[in-house]
Amino acid sequence: MSTVAAPIAAARPRRFSRRRLGALAGHVYVWAVLVVFVLPFLTLLGYSLTGPGGTYAVQNFQYVLGSFGDNLRQSFLVAGMTLVINLLVALPGAYAIVRYPFPGKRALFSLLSLPLYVPGAVIGISLVLVYNFTYHLTTSIFGLVFAMAVGTFPLMLSPIVVALKDLPLSFEEAAACLGASRWQTFWRVVFPLIGPGVSAGLMLTFIIVFNEYLVTLFVHPPDVTTAPLRVFNLVRTAGLAPTTAALAVTMQLISFGAILVFFKVFGTRYLKGTYLI
Amino acid sequence: MRAEPLGLPVPVIADEARRRERNRQLVGLALVAPAAVLVVLFLYFPMAFIVQMSFTVGSSYLSPTGPEYSILNYDAVLSRYLPNVLVTLQLAALSTVVNLLFGFPFAYVLVRRIRYRDVVRAFMVFPMFGALYIAFGMRFVLLPGGPATPLLQALGIPSTAILYSLPSVVFAMSIFTFPFMVMSIGAALSNVDPTLEEAAACLGARPWQTLRRVLLPLTRSGVIAGILIVFGWNIGTFAEPVLLGSLNEQRALAWTLYQRGVVQTDYGLASAMSVVLLIIAVVVSYFSLRYSRGALVD
Repeated sequence: MSTVAAPIAAARPRRFSRRRLGALAGHVYVWAVLVVFVLPFLTLLGYSLTGPGGTYAVQNFQYVLGSFGDNLRQSFLVAGMTLVINLLVALPGAYAIVRYPFPGKRALFSLLSLPLYVPGAVIGISLVLVYNFTYHLTTSIFGLVFAMAVGTFPLMLSPIVVALKDLPLSFEEAAACLGASRWQTFWRVVFPLIGPGVSAGLMLTFIIVFNEYLVTLFVHPPDVTTAPLRVFNLVRTAGLAPTTAALAVTMQLISFGAILVFFKVFGTRYLKGTYLI
Repeated sequence: MRAEPLGLPVPVIADEARRRERNRQLVGLALVAPAAVLVVLFLYFPMAFIVQMSFTVGSSYLSPTGPEYSILNYDAVLSRYLPNVLVTLQLAALSTVVNLLFGFPFAYVLVRRIRYRDVVRAFMVFPMFGALYIAFGMRFVLLPGGPATPLLQALGIPSTAILYSLPSVVFAMSIFTFPFMVMSIGAALSNVDPTLEEAAACLGARPWQTLRRVLLPLTRSGVIAGILIVFGWNIGTFAEPVLLGSLNEQRALAWTLYQRGVVQTDYGLASAMSVVLLIIAVVVSYFSLRYSRGALVD
């Protein structure tokens, strides 16, 4: 017994340490990449806290609420309006795609998801031309909101489709057997049960629209400058300023907060098939 | 009462069933209608419009004598603006290669070794906030006097040589699209049974051989899908070349079409450029979807 055990005991530490070294290298690699990921944010955070002459200052963030306040407010307004439109459009759409039979469903789903794959500049130029020559929407905030909605509603559609597919039909059948109308079944049974999927869609839409600058640059009405567009314009024309960095940091912190809250409440499962997983 | 339909001749029941089926189809179509209307009004009609516009000369669409049709715009895209097309393709291709080289090991470690995946995911959302903040952050890092200055001085590189250059643009683009590559490869890797790698090792394969003979063939679809997704996203790169590129990188198509179309109102040329971009992006994403097999609807 002991004669067999001894060589194994002798061999184990070496193999063990080599394996651990490999695993450690893996962890180090992942963290190194993650640091690079967060580096642009962290350096901006540091920069946003510097005052004149390299001092430490929080005034930049007061400036965000003061001078950039209007931009932030417009960003929230555009994001909010887009959320409403997306919800109205994606909720019945996803329900029909999962629960109702109709011809050409697959093709239709692909056609509805196409906006995700069209470059922002193409959406921007096509909409600005159409707004100018056909729709006459160039001075209305609705032009911007519909541009945001068409680009992001597939992000709302997919999580709801996933959530509906996970929901067994028996809940709806039971509700119907107990005498609920279709309307009641949907709002009292289905909607609460697909809540996480709907929230995932809302969060994704909010984050993308809240930080969108490219399509906005093309189609924004003259009196609307959302916060990310302001950042883009300032960085491109006015050089760098700690206040601009403070605005960018604020935007990212708000977005990150929204994601963290979502992860905490619902976990990551409902984001399958979208950006994050 | 309930048994009564059974007394009816079969064709009546069949008719009733068919009518119900048709009703359900109609309700389904009615429920998708808002989404379809939104997409048609704000995506497909505008696309058709720029295709038409791309065959009109300059801003002649507005001229009182009616638009002047020709293929001059496409001619210009393929001759005078050919360098712009090539730079765009080059940037997208380079950042795809960078993403593949760094993304495969990352996805492997993430799927096989790491238990705190949610923490990694939380970090990986930062690029999703947009290429703008990445480009802004890198511009600040690399500017003379920025945090990277001592390092660059030690290496003897003038910081403007790095700031306005191809590598910095490619680097920013790679950060932006890295999660897509990791997501795609990771999904394929998590479907591969880890015992296959152990079996390969037991049979005497070296790590490199295991990668080439076992892992890559089994994750091929995920790798290809990742390459195509990343390429498709990067083809429309906008903020990175503008904020980090030299004059060469600033020729990227998306930025050029903004300049020509919105600033100089040469609608025809800008439309032709966006049609080219659109075709590349749609073809690439079509194949990426075929490879990722990520269809939600079946």
